[in-house]
Amino acid sequence: MDSRGGKITVALIVVCVLVGGGYVAYAALGPGETSTDASPSAAASSSDVAVMVRAVDPANPALNGGVFVVEDGKVRRRSEDLACERVYYAAGHGICMGVAASGVDYTASVFDDELRPQHSIRLTGLPSRARVSADGRYGAMTVFVSGDAYLSTPTAFSTRTYLLDMKSGETIGQLEQFDVSKDGARFDSVDFNFWGITFDPGDSDRFYATLGTGDHHYLVEGSVGGREVRVLRDGVECPSLSPDGKRIAFKSRIEGTNRWRLHVLDLATLGDHPVAEERSIDDQAEWLDADTLVYSNGINVYAVAADGDGEPALLIRDATSPVAMGN
Amino acid sequence: MYQVEASKALLKPRLWARGSARLRVPRNVIMLGAVSLLTDVSAEMVATVLPMYLVFSLGASPLVFGAIDGTYRGAAALVQVASGFTSDRWRRHKEVAGIGYGLSALGKVALVAAGNTVGGVGAIVAVDRVGKGIRTAPRDALISLSSAKDKLATSFGVHRAMDSVGAMLGPLIAFGILFLAPARFDAVFVVSTLFAVLGLAVLVLNVEGKPRRAPREGTPPRLGAALSLLRDRSFAPLLLAAAGLSVASVSDAMIYVGLQRTIDFEPAVFPLLYVMTAISFMGLAIPVGQLADRIGKVPVLLAGQALLFVVYGVLLTTSVGLLVLIVCLVALGGYFAATEGVLTALAGALLPEDLQASGIGILITVVSLGRLVSSVAFGALWFAIGLHTAVLIFAAALALAIAVAAPLLLRAQGAALDG
Repeated sequence: MDSRGGKITVALIVVCVLVGGGYVAYAALGPGETSTDASPSAAASSSDVAVMVRAVDPANPALNGGVFVVEDGKVRRRSEDLACERVYYAAGHGICMGVAASGVDYTASVFDDELRPQHSIRLTGLPSRARVSADGRYGAMTVFVSGDAYLSTPTAFSTRTYLLDMKSGETIGQLEQFDVSKDGARFDSVDFNFWGITFDPGDSDRFYATLGTGDHHYLVEGSVGGREVRVLRDGVECPSLSPDGKRIAFKSRIEGTNRWRLHVLDLATLGDHPVAEERSIDDQAEWLDADTLVYSNGINVYAVAADGDGEPALLIRDATSPVAMGN
Repeated sequence: MYQVEASKALLKPRLWARGSARLRVPRNVIMLGAVSLLTDVSAEMVATVLPMYLVFSLGASPLVFGAIDGTYRGAAALVQVASGFTSDRWRRHKEVAGIGYGLSALGKVALVAAGNTVGGVGAIVAVDRVGKGIRTAPRDALISLSSAKDKLATSFGVHRAMDSVGAMLGPLIAFGILFLAPARFDAVFVVSTLFAVLGLAVLVLNVEGKPRRAPREGTPPRLGAALSLLRDRSFAPLLLAAAGLSVASVSDAMIYVGLQRTIDFEPAVFPLLYVMTAISFMGLAIPVGQLADRIGKVPVLLAGQALLFVVYGVLLTTSVGLLVLIVCLVALGGYFAATEGVLTALAGALLPEDLQASGIGILITVVSLGRLVSSVAFGALWFAIGLHTAVLIFAAALALAIAVAAPLLLRAQGAALDG
């Protein structure tokens, strides 16, 4: 029995090596899907502020990622070199988070005003959020990490948020290592997750972000140089500061779900109101100008008034990750 | 009987020879190790590429991955005790383990055929984990029943080392395929399926279902007999000691999170922590098993637990150099090598032959419940009083647990020798 079992096993190994090797060779040598890349198209209600977006093809996610600049309803520029899951840009410095050229790893590129990559940074997880301070000095990136979620609950996930020096492309900090305070006292927990940084347009050292712990999603205010953050209030995810630095657009979780409504918060009172968009939006909103938000539902880019009035308007089809180039 | 077996063992290939400690491992254990190696290659290939596949090919949100990942880990826990008892009751450890390996292989086939929706991937992942839950207890029982009682720890060490080789190779093979054929996840799934089928084939064709210590006569055990293990005078103290030690040990995931907070890593270095710990485990599992067979499983198990103090010490320091970090990760690998496999070997030596899978299933469940309690408690303490104080409390709890476990384990071992 031993020798017969052994012979059959050896025969099976040979068959598996041939089939597996053949399939991989066929996949490697076969024609790649390099047809036409996805391309965004401007919708009827156009904006005179230029908007940088990441192109998506709903029918074939493998073609996603091209970076385009849309202005006055026309595509003004497109990048030859960038393929991003998330993109942001300000004052001549941009961040593009995507899959590395090897196709097996994640990477971020710091790019210049010609949309040419200058530096690359290895990422340790799936790209999620990117921001650059208005003066182009600091950048911020959030990734989703697998493999170290510490409890086996169905909602367990883990994020890391990095701060970058945009000139050198070096990582200068990780929010998980900043000191946290709440109501004046030190605050710490094993399940701290940070995501969605937004920088103060008037002072790039100051930023806001979300701190998730337990069922709470705190709005925190922090200092890059001071390496510290403090908790302001609960229920604010993916904050985005207005150009005047006085309001924050954010996604407000519908309790107990992974669905969100977009809200706008007044920093003076910490009170907030919903905007007219009624669909669930999982995005870090962007301020197109002092009165208008732009955001994506993962398929198209929409604009809506920040004061809660009006209706959402389709701005750019087949695009995500909008960046206003006007401010 | 033993003489005959021992001289037969001399004919087997020697993997290891050093002084008087020659590694003679029963062929069945090597074959079960090969089954686990192949199955782990298959599982880790899929686990490695699944997040990328879901997000980039299916366009899912990373949050969906979090939910699927949770299913991945959670689904296995409850079936272990049931499959352990069933395989003892039917006296068909190989067949029950085969159902588990078969389910996981079927899951890989389904991934190739129907893995193009997020819901489909979630269901397939859940089936895969149930398969893992089903196979673990009867597989460990087969390892135990294939080995002489004084070679159990070596056998488990060899099996665990081979298993971890598979877990290391899987991601490398998956990345290699994606490097040759970018974005061709189907090729990864096809090769993963072939590894899973090969693993199942080695089990069916090369593993002896009725090894040397397997019970052949008498009536099959009833459920009452399995439940009475909870009151057994050698197994009950073992369970109690295992529960205490697992509650007092900070889980590996918590340790990594703690290290990440303590040490200023380059982000890209973080995955290397897992790799270094795995290499340490892989290298130490076999020699530590041999040591446990030579000087006794209980002292090796307790010494392995004590290695956690090294890790706790590093968590308490504020500045950690590369050398200290390496020492810490080697200690962590040594702790894994000297605890899980040695504990299962100890259970295998204590348990009656006809209740091996039931007892091992109960033990695995108790240990994983203990780890859950430990994680929740450590998280709560960290939140309430900070990381450093939480580590100090866990260090004190571990010292207490070792002090309590030592006499319990010795009593368990003594009772087994008397019996």
